Amino acid sequence: MAPMFTRTLSAAALLLAALPALAAVSVGQAAPAFSATDTAGKTVSLADYKGKTVVLEWVNPGCPYVQKHYNSANMPATQKSATAKGVVWLAVNSTHAGASDYMAPAALAGWMKDKGGAPTATLMDTDGRIGRAYGARTTPHMYVIDPAGKLAYVGAIDSKASANPADIKTATNYVDKALVETLAGKPVSEATTRAYGCSVKYSD
Amino acid sequence: MRLPSFLLPALLSLAALALPAAAAPSAVVTTEQVRAELVAHAPQGIAPGQPVWLGLAIEHAPHWHTYWKNPGDSGLPTTLQWTLPAGFAAGEIDWPTPQRLPIGPLLNFGYEGRLLLPVKLEIPAGFAAETLPLRLRAEWLVCKDVCIPESGEFALDLPVRAAWAPHAAAFEAAFAARPTVLAQARASAKLESGALVVTVDGLPGDWAGQALAFFPETAGVIENAAPPRATWQGAQWRVDVPLSAQRSESPAEMAAVLVPAGSKVGGQIKFAIAGPWPAPGADAAAQASAAPAALAPGASLGLAAALLFALVGGALLNLMPCVFPVLSLKVLGFAAHAQDRRALAAGGLAYTAGVVLSFVALAAALLALRAGGEQLGWGFQLQSPAVIAVLAALFTLIGLNLAGVFEFGSVLPSGLASLRAHHPLVDALLTGVLAVAVASPCTAPFMGASLGLAVTLPTAEALAIFAALGLGMALPYLAASLWPGLARALPRPGAWMARFKVLMAFPMFATVVWLVWVIGQQTGIDGAAALLATLLALAFIAWALGTPGIGRVARTALGVLGGLGLAAALAWMLPAFDAAAAPQRAEANSAWQPWSVERVAEARAAGRPVFVDFTAAWCVTCQVNKRTTLASAEVMADFAARNVLLLRADWTRRDAAITAELARFGRSGVPVYALYGIDPNRPATILSEILSVSEVRDALSRL
Repeated sequence: MAPMFTRTLSAAALLLAALPALAAVSVGQAAPAFSATDTAGKTVSLADYKGKTVVLEWVNPGCPYVQKHYNSANMPATQKSATAKGVVWLAVNSTHAGASDYMAPAALAGWMKDKGGAPTATLMDTDGRIGRAYGARTTPHMYVIDPAGKLAYVGAIDSKASANPADIKTATNYVDKALVETLAGKPVSEATTRAYGCSVKYSD
Repeated sequence: MRLPSFLLPALLSLAALALPAAAAPSAVVTTEQVRAELVAHAPQGIAPGQPVWLGLAIEHAPHWHTYWKNPGDSGLPTTLQWTLPAGFAAGEIDWPTPQRLPIGPLLNFGYEGRLLLPVKLEIPAGFAAETLPLRLRAEWLVCKDVCIPESGEFALDLPVRAAWAPHAAAFEAAFAARPTVLAQARASAKLESGALVVTVDGLPGDWAGQALAFFPETAGVIENAAPPRATWQGAQWRVDVPLSAQRSESPAEMAAVLVPAGSKVGGQIKFAIAGPWPAPGADAAAQASAAPAALAPGASLGLAAALLFALVGGALLNLMPCVFPVLSLKVLGFAAHAQDRRALAAGGLAYTAGVVLSFVALAAALLALRAGGEQLGWGFQLQSPAVIAVLAALFTLIGLNLAGVFEFGSVLPSGLASLRAHHPLVDALLTGVLAVAVASPCTAPFMGASLGLAVTLPTAEALAIFAALGLGMALPYLAASLWPGLARALPRPGAWMARFKVLMAFPMFATVVWLVWVIGQQTGIDGAAALLATLLALAFIAWALGTPGIGRVARTALGVLGGLGLAAALAWMLPAFDAAAAPQRAEANSAWQPWSVERVAEARAAGRPVFVDFTAAWCVTCQVNKRTTLASAEVMADFAARNVLLLRADWTRRDAAITAELARFGRSGVPVYALYGIDPNRPATILSEILSVSEVRDALSRL
C-alpha cells in the first residue's frame, strides 16, 4: 500500500513539475511512477509491473556508447538473461524529436530488432519526463527497481568507461550483479555507480 | 528521414579509427571534428634538468568540444598513453581551466576552440642521443549534440641538440590557462542538508564580492547542473553545492577550480571533507531514519553493542599501566581509612561524574575538530609532536611521583591543596579528570572498534558511546565506594603498598621511552634530544620543589635554576617541532622507497607489482610487522623474485595524501598492507594487520 501511495504522490509531483533541472531519485527511494507509449503504440505503466523487478535502460541508437553495447551483443545478452529470470526490462529513449539522432518509433523498433535486442518494451519519452524524473544523464544509464518499487541500483552498465568494445570482456556488468543480488533479496553491494556515455538529448 | 544524419557521425568515427592504421603515424591526426597534433616545447634543448614539455594540441571544429579531467554529467576525459625510450617519464596532463558546457538540463566541463594539453617530460641523467623518438596514443571523446569517440597514433622525432620551440606561443597560452595554485587559500568542507558546504579564506583580494564558478576535480559527487548558492562574508567565500542524488563517490578530500566571472583562468583549492557522507539522496534530516540498506546490518549491531563494548572496555582501562597506579592507590587508600559511608558514596559519584564528563568533553573536541574540517583518524593526537611531548612530560612526572622523588601535595600551591582538603568532592571530581587524561593514550588499541564507529555516528550517539566508556571506567571505583564490603576484599594495606607504588613507576618510564622514540621519528635526533633535555629540567624542578627537607632559600634558588634550564630546553625543542616533516630518511641499504600515488600508478602502468606498507612510528603493530615479517629473508626474496616495487607510506606525521589513500581502502588508521598485482585494472589486495610471513608469501604466489 505504502509504495503505491508514494508512487501516486510522485506521479502527481511529476505532473505538476515543469522542472527544468533533473529531479533525480536516489537508491532506496520509491521509483517515480510513469506511463508512456512503446514503439508499438501500446501504453506501458510502471504500475503494471507491481511486485516485479524492473530494469530501466536509457537508450539512443545514435550514441557510440549504446552502439558499443549493442554491436557487441552485450546489452541484448543482458536483456535476455534478465527477462529469462522474470525481470521486466524497459528501454527508454528520451531523445527529443528535434535532435539530429532522434528516431521515430518504427525506426527505433526496427533498429532494436536488427541488433537482437530483447527488452520487454521500448518506450518513447520524447518530452523527457521519465528521464528527468529519474535523473538519467547518459545513454546508456541503467536503473534497477526492486519488487517493493524502490530503486535498488542506478549507474553504469559496466565498470569500464570507454567506447572500446574490447573492454566489455574484462569489465564487471553492474546490472547483472545488481539483478542477482536483488533477486536473492539482498541489498545491492554497488548500488550507485557513475554512468558513462553520451548526454541524454533532452529538449531545452 | 533521419537515418543518414545519425549514421554520418558513426561512419566518420569509423573513418577516424581506420585512418591512423592506414597511414604511418605522423605528428598530426585530422578528423571531421578535430585537428590533433603532438607537439613539444624544449626551449633549452633536451638535456637532464632542462624544462621539456610535450602536449596534444586539439583544434575543435566550431561547436564541438572535448572534456576536462572531470567531464561532468556525461562525456569522458581525454587520455594520453606515451611510448618513450627507457628512463623517460611523462607526467600527468596539466589541465587548463575548463569551461561550463550546458546541454539541456545537463552540464559538462570541457573545452572548445583551440586547446593544448601539456605534459611535463622527465629526462633521465646521462641521456645522449641525436633524436628523441616520441610515440603517443591518445583517445578523446568529441561531442556537439552527438558524440564521437576518436583516437590517434602520433609520432614525432625530436632533434636533441637544438632548442625546439615552434609552438612556444601555444605552450605559453596553455601555462597561462592553468589554474593557479592558491597557496594563501585555506579551504574546508562539511556536509550539511544534502549539500557540500565549502568555506574558503585567503582568496585573492580582487576576487572579493565576485561570482565564482565551482569546478570539482572529482566526478560523481555533486549535482553539476544545480545552481550552487554562494555568499561572501567579508573576505570569506562560502558555497553550498548540492550533492548528487546519485552520488557514486565519497572522497575524504577533494580539489576544485574556482573561476571568477568573466575570467578564463581559475585558481585551485583543496579541502578535506568532514564526514560522514550521507546515504545517497538523504539530506541531514532524513539521514537518521533512512540509513542506507547496505549499512543497516552494521549500524543496527552498532549502537547497543558498541555501548556494551564501551562499558566493558572502560572497565578494562583500569588495568592499563597508565591508569592502574593512580587508581589502585586511591582505592586502597579509602579502604584503609574511610568510615563515613555517605561521604564515600558521594566521593564515588563525584569521581564518576569527573570521568564521564572528561570522556564526553574529549569526544566533543574530536567531533568538533572533524566537523571543522580537520582530517583526523584515531591516533590523530599522536601525529602532533607537541602532544607527544606533553604526554612524555606528564608520564615522566607521574613516574617520578610514584618513584617518590616528589609529592604532589608539596608542589601544588597551598590554596589548591587546601581546596582539595576542604572540598573532597572537588578532589574526587578532579581525580576522575586526571584518570581520563592519563588513560587516553591507552584507549586506542583496545577501544579501536567502538571509537572508530563513534566518529562516524551522529553526534548524540557518538557522545553516548564515549559516556558509556567513561561510566565503564568509573564503575569499579563507584562500586567500591557504594559497597565498602567490596573494598574490604582487597589486600590489606601495608608496607607493600609503598613498594608497589615505586614498581608502578617503571611502566611509566617505559612509556616515556616509547614516546621519545616517536618524537625522534617525527623530528629527528635533535627533537628527541631536546625533549630529553626538557624532561630532565622538569624532573629537576619537581625534585627541587617537591622533595621534603630543603630550606626555603635553597628551594627557591634551585627552582629558578630549574626554570632557566627548562626555558633553555624549550627554546631548543619548540623550533625543532616546527621544522618541516623530518625528511623521509633515505634508507640507503633498504629496498623500500617513499610512497606516492604517482609512483604506484607509474609502476602499475609499467606492469610491475607494488606492495605498500602504510605505517607510523607510533603504531606498535606496524613496527612489529616491519621488524619481523617485512624483514624476513624469505619474504624479501619473494618480493625480489617477482620484481615487486616496495613502497612505504609513513603516517607518523599528518599527511593528507596518505589519509585520503587510507580512506579509499575504507580505513582510518594504520597499519594497512596493500598488494597490487600486474593487471592495472584489478584493485589492490589488502592483507591483514597482524601480518604473517605465510600470508605475504601466499598473496605473492597468487600474483
